[in-house]
Amino acid sequence: MFHLLSFVQWLNDTRISVYLRESDWPFPIIETIHILGLGFSVGTVMWLDLRLLGLAMREAPVVDVIEQLEPWAIGGFTVMFVSGSLLILSEPLKCYNTVAFRIKVVLLILAALNVLYFHKRVMHNVDEWDRNMPWRAKMVGVLSLVLWLGVVIAGRWTAYF
Amino acid sequence: MTFGRILPGWFFSLCEYTLPGSWFKNARWFFAIDETFHIMALGMLIGTLVIVDLRLLGFGMRRQSVAELSKYLAPWTLLGVALMIITGVPLFMSEAVKLSRSSPFFYKMIFLICAVTLHFTLHRKATTSNAGQGSGLGRLAASLSLICWLGVALAGRAIAFL
Repeated sequence: MFHLLSFVQWLNDTRISVYLRESDWPFPIIETIHILGLGFSVGTVMWLDLRLLGLAMREAPVVDVIEQLEPWAIGGFTVMFVSGSLLILSEPLKCYNTVAFRIKVVLLILAALNVLYFHKRVMHNVDEWDRNMPWRAKMVGVLSLVLWLGVVIAGRWTAYF
Repeated sequence: MTFGRILPGWFFSLCEYTLPGSWFKNARWFFAIDETFHIMALGMLIGTLVIVDLRLLGFGMRRQSVAELSKYLAPWTLLGVALMIITGVPLFMSEAVKLSRSSPFFYKMIFLICAVTLHFTLHRKATTSNAGQGSGLGRLAASLSLICWLGVALAGRAIAFL
């Protein structure tokens, strides 16, 4: 049977993990890239969500906002994911034991499901949204905002708990 | 370079050890909570700037004009800056003496002053009409804006490490 804890312990003892943890520069550099990625990913996703809710960029067609911002959101997320994985690799055991980090993982999974739901079930009649925004699209927008803000908060608090 | 070499030491002690700084310093969860809002405001602020600056550089939301995007997002940028300052000042007060010796903090403030000055001068000129669209002026304003704001974020992050 697969034991997550023993895997985490093994990961914690790998040479790369020890190296990332014990040398001075990698952690701050990766952390900095992680924060810059946040500006691009959460920064663009948030405006997408606010557009779905009709709170920002109201004069721009919804399709335009989605199509043009999504590549940047995905790009930013890729940077976040890669740098974030390295941050986990630098202290696997600490992450495993941190409540805020566990909450962050759950929120990330929910955020991913939300995006999946949006693309599979909600987006098919996006061309009509400028006349009439469906409640499902608004719901996705609210959920996305709440989940990503939760990810940021839980991420920031991983350092404290 | 640090602020401790420019401003007198009593200024930093005053910030940190008298109200409201002493409260910010001693309240148990204040720093963590305020820091969280500071990061959320950062996401919002950098987001608006990235969208407008990428557009000035010819990327991102190209179906909208620079002036349109700037009109939609300018109020949010200002709100973001306001939130950053409102949450940032208490963070400073809670550890003013330490920050008086921090060079990343010094450079963060320099980047911030440059970024804000740029925003209300060259950047505003490039975004209020479509003059900045695809022109050298627009590209220059956008590059400088991104460098300054990301510089603020980088130097800010470095405060915790150096």
